[in-house]
Amino acid sequence: MAVIGTKAPGGLKARWTLIDIIVVVYALVPVLWILSLSFKTKDTLADRNFFPREWTWQNYIDIFNTSEFLRALLNSIGIAVIATVIAVVLGTMAAYAIARLDFPGKRLLVGVSLLIAMFPQVSLVTPLFEMERSLGLFDTWPGLILPYITFALPLAIYTLSAFFREIPWELEKAAKMDGATPAQAFRRVIAPLAAPGVFTTAILVFIFCWNDFLFAISLTSTTASRTVPAALSFFQGSSRFEDPTGTVSAAAVVITIPIILFVLFFQRRIVAGLTSGAVKG
Amino acid sequence: MSEAVDTPRAAVKGASDGKKAERRLAFWLCAPAALVMLAVTGYPIIYSIWLSLQRYDLRFPSQHEFVGLDNYITVLTNSYWWTAFGVTAFITIVSVVIELVLGMALALIMHRTLVARGLIRTVALIPYGIVTVVAAFSWRYAWDANTGYLSQLFDPDGAPLTQRASALTIIIAAEVWKTVPFMALLLMAGLALVPEDLLKAASMDGATAWQRFTKVMLPVMKPAILVALLFRTLDAFRVFDNIFVLTSGAQETGSVSMQTYNNLIKGLNLGIGSTMSVLIFLAVALIAFIFVKVFGAAAPGNSDNGRR
Amino acid sequence: MRFAHRVPGRRGRRLRVALCAALVASPLVAACGSDDGGITVNVYYSIEENFDKVIANCADAAHGRYKVAFTALPRDADDQREQMVRRLAAGDSDMDILGLDVTWVAEFAQAGWIAEWTGQDKADIEQGTLAGPLTTARWQGKLFAAPKNTNVQLLWYRSDVVPTPPKTWSEMLDMAARLKAEHKPATVLMTGAQYEGLVVQFSTLTAGAGGKILSDDGSKAVVDDGAVRALQALRDVATSPAVSPSLSNAKEDNIRQEFEKGNAAFELNWPFVYASMGKSNPELAKVFKWAPYPALDANKTGTSTIGGYDLAVSTYSQHKPEAFEVAKCLRSAENQKYSAINSGVPPTIESVYHDPEMAEPYPMRDAILTELKSAAVRPVTPVYQNVSTLVSAILSPPSGIDPPKTAERLRTELQDALDSKGVLP
Repeated sequence: MAVIGTKAPGGLKARWTLIDIIVVVYALVPVLWILSLSFKTKDTLADRNFFPREWTWQNYIDIFNTSEFLRALLNSIGIAVIATVIAVVLGTMAAYAIARLDFPGKRLLVGVSLLIAMFPQVSLVTPLFEMERSLGLFDTWPGLILPYITFALPLAIYTLSAFFREIPWELEKAAKMDGATPAQAFRRVIAPLAAPGVFTTAILVFIFCWNDFLFAISLTSTTASRTVPAALSFFQGSSRFEDPTGTVSAAAVVITIPIILFVLFFQRRIVAGLTSGAVKG
Repeated sequence: MSEAVDTPRAAVKGASDGKKAERRLAFWLCAPAALVMLAVTGYPIIYSIWLSLQRYDLRFPSQHEFVGLDNYITVLTNSYWWTAFGVTAFITIVSVVIELVLGMALALIMHRTLVARGLIRTVALIPYGIVTVVAAFSWRYAWDANTGYLSQLFDPDGAPLTQRASALTIIIAAEVWKTVPFMALLLMAGLALVPEDLLKAASMDGATAWQRFTKVMLPVMKPAILVALLFRTLDAFRVFDNIFVLTSGAQETGSVSMQTYNNLIKGLNLGIGSTMSVLIFLAVALIAFIFVKVFGAAAPGNSDNGRR
Repeated sequence: MRFAHRVPGRRGRRLRVALCAALVASPLVAACGSDDGGITVNVYYSIEENFDKVIANCADAAHGRYKVAFTALPRDADDQREQMVRRLAAGDSDMDILGLDVTWVAEFAQAGWIAEWTGQDKADIEQGTLAGPLTTARWQGKLFAAPKNTNVQLLWYRSDVVPTPPKTWSEMLDMAARLKAEHKPATVLMTGAQYEGLVVQFSTLTAGAGGKILSDDGSKAVVDDGAVRALQALRDVATSPAVSPSLSNAKEDNIRQEFEKGNAAFELNWPFVYASMGKSNPELAKVFKWAPYPALDANKTGTSTIGGYDLAVSTYSQHKPEAFEVAKCLRSAENQKYSAINSGVPPTIESVYHDPEMAEPYPMRDAILTELKSAAVRPVTPVYQNVSTLVSAILSPPSGIDPPKTAERLRTELQDALDSKGVLP
């Protein structure tokens, strides 16, 4: 397993380049297919070619021509960001307690949160709708943010507590003995160690909120809070029987861009956390 | 036990005070998360369980009555249910195993690569970021005998989505492609915790790469692997979108989630539909229980938590 | 939007006020808007091109007595039904007019979710509306909806390889086999995936053999000899040398695309394929012709299942008189003509077909009209969704049909579904 090698002679670099290319092909070829569909004209959609024979921007023009898609994009970004921030903060707090503190009811909390993650969501949608309707939350941002936080929390708590358990907390004590204040010890030692877990969780939660369709279609009814995955099912073909494949593909491409930016931004933090952890460790 | 108690030779009174403070802190840390989860799901879950004990079809409100476990007997003695159950279990096992292997490989690559690390880490996550329904449609388009480049490439005259074996393979491939990044990301964050000097030391002691992987890396990553496996299995067992789009469940490729959808949402049979939900939940709970047993102490909340 | 209807208790209101106060900075929370006191008729209808124009017409016609607001439902029929059912089951009074697929009327009527049309309103709807579409709007002899648009399938064929279109199913299969042997475009295309489209074929073929799937009152699973012949016909086409390999995964849009590629001779599909062919394959469009749906009995040729949408008024509507008025306006002859020409949905009022402006977009209008007069209606039952889910599962894949055995299975399992027993696949 060359993967674990630590030095970097020229041959190794070439080998890594090859492996990287395989990864890129694996990840991107199906995505390129969606990209290609989004650039195909309506009449050449079904020509069995991987690359478009005629290129068109029409699908992109179409989706940005209506205010609805932009509005849905705004809803998606706002809802996913707010839900991610809250879920990660609440999850970090709970995970810290689970990993580091001794208290009665810990197993219950862990068990209940797993139970929530296990229950089929399709059967929870109708009662949730009734609750939200009577509270006036139906078709509002909080009406989606709350379920997203809820269903992201189990994963957040599990991921984070798994990480917090593995963090060498004695380093904190060592730093304190070296004369650091508790705040410094946390900022310089613990925070960098915890960062990979926290940002990994943030990415997962964000993608979960971003891609959800079930709640988005069931708990919204207008553009006030409809997110992009739900908005996709309001795109029209030329008739009731024709699927708007081109515009849906274009929209899929557009809404993948924020994910890429989000991951780009956070994966740096994962690297940062990693290196400082390695230095101190 | 914890920081508060770590103070050497703490008085007994002090220890119990510390204990109280620790509990209070833990309570305040956990309360918000617990509150949100219970507020949102408490009533819906209990309501579903209650519905599963009723004969309740929305079209026949007059026949609404309490029937105890009758719905469970109806579902569990039905061959449709067991076919779907078998298909679901098959898809779950096969895809999760493949995902674990590929996910581990991808995690190592993302973690260790010397070339274009940032690019790889970002690109590898894109499949997970694509909206599932759209990805499923693009696969359907690619494999469809009339529109697809893949069917053109592999099977120009046939229609792979209309044969059970090839359709299942395509469904699993679509699942795997989509979720390997999820596994890899969790495992990579686990890898980040493996101390570099420990690996160097093992290497100097003459451990082979495989030994370093199994003896040094795996034990540290155990909790991360558990979380990744657990949550992927929960999700895989509820597979819906890919099947719905790719085959609509034809040729006996339907999953238990599709059946639940058909009974609960399309059929409006709240009793039977909720029963299926509870059964899926029980099946998944059993899987989770086995995982936690197998992985033992790696589960969060186990007794040795909080110390190293 | 009137909030008083949505928030039952004072506690709910207070909580909402608190939440709105917390979010007051955000203009995005529509639910915090104030109530202006006027009447608004809320129309819930699936997305349809240019439908906002029709809505505007009807809002103008109200001369300020009320407003008409349109809320789009998703493209997918199951998603539409799911949303409406969820809200109706909760007694939601925000919905006034509902756009229903023709197969949902019985279900919504039986559940007490939609109001009966009576008196002058009823007479207005029945006046001039074609018999086939009107049947879909009735349940137990009462009128529960107003047919907005309709649809029938035709046989589409290539006149360069098929000079005279077949009259019966077996003629069609024979011709296809002959063309196949001559290495000409021969494929027969129909919707065979495990979904509603397969049920439509089965129901059309059954009607074309003079058979029945359910009894007239929808209470018994009959599956008579005609239905058995329909099963045989499905099996025949699925095992024919000229069938498309994709049959068992094909939906309407798939077979449209496959025909446009030029390897097929026959396609059983809705008229939307005509406009599409003109755009994507103008060469082939010149020989793209239509004929009545070939039946199993020669004297029943042109029997096709009816599709389309009906408009109903919600039982929970607070403005029923206005809602009936708006529904009538939305499907008026004038607006139906507008929608037929601009959105491609065939009208339900006979006179509209005779309008000269219809000739260009609907060259096949006579064929449609003929079929609409002798049309088959899918089994009318409140549990149609269950029937459809079961039938599509049992008939899929069509090549696996064993007529007498499959019929027996349909009989027992459909009866369970009608009695709300058993499990859906």
